[in-house]
Amino acid sequence: MYRRWLWPGFAFPGVLWLILLFAVPFYAVVAVAFGSVDPVLLQPVPLWNPLEWNVGWVSEVLHRLAPGGNLSGVAVRTIEYVAIALALSVLIGYPVAYYIARHAGRMKNLLLVLIILPLWISYLMRMLAWVNLLAPEGYVNRFLTYTHVLSQPRDWLGGQPSTVILALVYGYIPYFILPLFAALDRIDRSHLEAARDLGASPWSTFRTVTLPLSKAGILGGAVLITLPMFGDYYTPNIVSQAPTTSMIGNQIDFYFHYGGQPTIGAAITVVLALFLTALMAYYMWTIHRAAREVPQV
Amino acid sequence: MTLHPKERGGLNRKEFLVRAAGAASLATGVGGILAACSSETTASSPTGTGGELLGPGGLPIARPDKRVTMPLWEDPIESGLEPETGGTFTVFNYPAYFYKKLLKDFGKKYNVDVQYTAFDNISSGIQRLASGAVTPDVMEMTPDNLSRAVAGKLIKPLNLDYIPNLKKNVWPDLVSPFYDVDSHYTVPYTIYATGIFWRNDKVSEDIASMSQPWDIFWQSQKYKGKVALLSEERETIGMALLRKGITDINTEDPARIDQAVADLKELYGVCNIKVGDVQYQSIPEGTAWLNQAWSGDPIAAYIYYLPKGTPASALSYWKAEKGKTPVQNDCFSICKTTKKPVLSHLFLNFLLDNGVSYSNFVNFNGYQPPINEIDPESLVKKGIVPENLTTAVLTNDDLGPDSLQYGTLTARGQQLWQDGYSDFTAAG
Repeated sequence: MYRRWLWPGFAFPGVLWLILLFAVPFYAVVAVAFGSVDPVLLQPVPLWNPLEWNVGWVSEVLHRLAPGGNLSGVAVRTIEYVAIALALSVLIGYPVAYYIARHAGRMKNLLLVLIILPLWISYLMRMLAWVNLLAPEGYVNRFLTYTHVLSQPRDWLGGQPSTVILALVYGYIPYFILPLFAALDRIDRSHLEAARDLGASPWSTFRTVTLPLSKAGILGGAVLITLPMFGDYYTPNIVSQAPTTSMIGNQIDFYFHYGGQPTIGAAITVVLALFLTALMAYYMWTIHRAAREVPQV
Repeated sequence: MTLHPKERGGLNRKEFLVRAAGAASLATGVGGILAACSSETTASSPTGTGGELLGPGGLPIARPDKRVTMPLWEDPIESGLEPETGGTFTVFNYPAYFYKKLLKDFGKKYNVDVQYTAFDNISSGIQRLASGAVTPDVMEMTPDNLSRAVAGKLIKPLNLDYIPNLKKNVWPDLVSPFYDVDSHYTVPYTIYATGIFWRNDKVSEDIASMSQPWDIFWQSQKYKGKVALLSEERETIGMALLRKGITDINTEDPARIDQAVADLKELYGVCNIKVGDVQYQSIPEGTAWLNQAWSGDPIAAYIYYLPKGTPASALSYWKAEKGKTPVQNDCFSICKTTKKPVLSHLFLNFLLDNGVSYSNFVNFNGYQPPINEIDPESLVKKGIVPENLTTAVLTNDDLGPDSLQYGTLTARGQQLWQDGYSDFTAAG
């Protein structure tokens, strides 16, 4: 009996942590989304009993997010920004992670520290630093005009979608590189040698061995960065401030923090969580399948 | 062992999609069941016996031409009590909106440790106070939120015997303001109008002499990326109403609000409009050229943010004449959570002291207190405000029954304004 509960018991602190800091707070958001608002203080009145839920707010949000609704544009824009930022993160992050895992040699630890180093500074501070760098007279414009890449300074902070996307990439890419590096570093070199011995070219070896074996790392990194990107609101706030580059997180922030409809903010959060759950389900299914495909020793 | 594709027990892509669709249908089914629950989202617009709209708690809605006396939900403290000393005294306010040196002086004088707790905005501040998340002694209040705080019994009635500076130093119109006749719950703190702040070395138009200066935002194609509005639903939508000559800036008419939002949306294409509240910094530094702004912004810009080499004459500020420009004031109230009610009264008297309010204004805040001693001429004479920015200084004449002020809305009205602003900022 004692042995039966010993090892599962090690999971208890983690489970407790999840219940207290994830499950309960998330249910509170759900209870607010299906709740009502105090007419005097405009505070949310959560409804904890599902049988008493008021579905009006979630239904209202779904209506607004549907094509033609006033939130459909910001929802599509968010998906576009996150998709492009993710694609850029893969294009930039994969070679970096691959180089560190395969070719960095004794420099590996140093490079890893350099990747992690920016995370020691607050995200907001890093973004604010970019505001100075991207200013019309900032170093980025000075460098690009000096090297004749640009004929005149670009208005990076003038509400440009590209600036928001690049800022997202900059802010989150370390979280993509690290799990990908771990996946690439774990690949048994004998698999690569076997492929080469069997006549595969370096590209073919990469395409048929390395890439499939690092798929879990890519997906893990992608999940790690896309989830917070979908809820991000401070990046567009800091580097753009234009409504035309706002993301769905800005609407959640607005409804939670300003005025009398926190229920709408909670309802958008719940709908976004359902959407992300679908993405997570795909990730879990892929990981599950990949695990079954791994050769058992 | 690697499994053959035929032996895989997991889902393939097609099955995944089919099952996901099934799950979605199930969710829809659950939605159908939930539809049996209530689905109320529209707030009501309660009215009084005369058909007039009522605010939170059924309290009458105040307007500059409709004075309202707030009911007392308890008696004020008695006169002649000694102030409490020792422990902590908490001021609940916007971040960086009170000169900390003055708070230290107050703490020293009454032997208390003054703590400054910040909120994002009044609305969230009231929510935090109501939930018990904070227990401040005094807090910043705005006239449009006053009835919520009174109806929720979140602030205490004042005994003005402890606050002689109110009658002695404050502008006549704010000694007994329209939103709180006889100052039952508030004393005024700062005052400001809403206008246009711009760099006249970057913007070529003479905005002040335009027949409708607000039109400049709709004619700002050549300043694209350098143009911003305040990130406030009342200010943005209200500005669009004023531009069309509608001076009812507290309207709850959905058609008017929809039209104002539609007008604001035109600004995406005109100048890729931004929204934000850093115009006191961005205009003097030149990262923005044209901004909707409060009158405190150009003064703060001149005092604190003007870079060397940029002359003060490069800054311009315009506000419309009385009756066409919104004039707002912030207040201070005593919270129900105070354990030091006498000292809280003395704090309200302290902030209305001539020297304290002046120091708070010129050494830190940049926002003008409505104090008799502070007038445009004296500010120019002392070099606090350059002559070209006297348009940003207000006087008691800017107030009165024919002035404009964003006031309390019904819950339904608040919903309309908030959803309109969401529509604008979502840029759908």
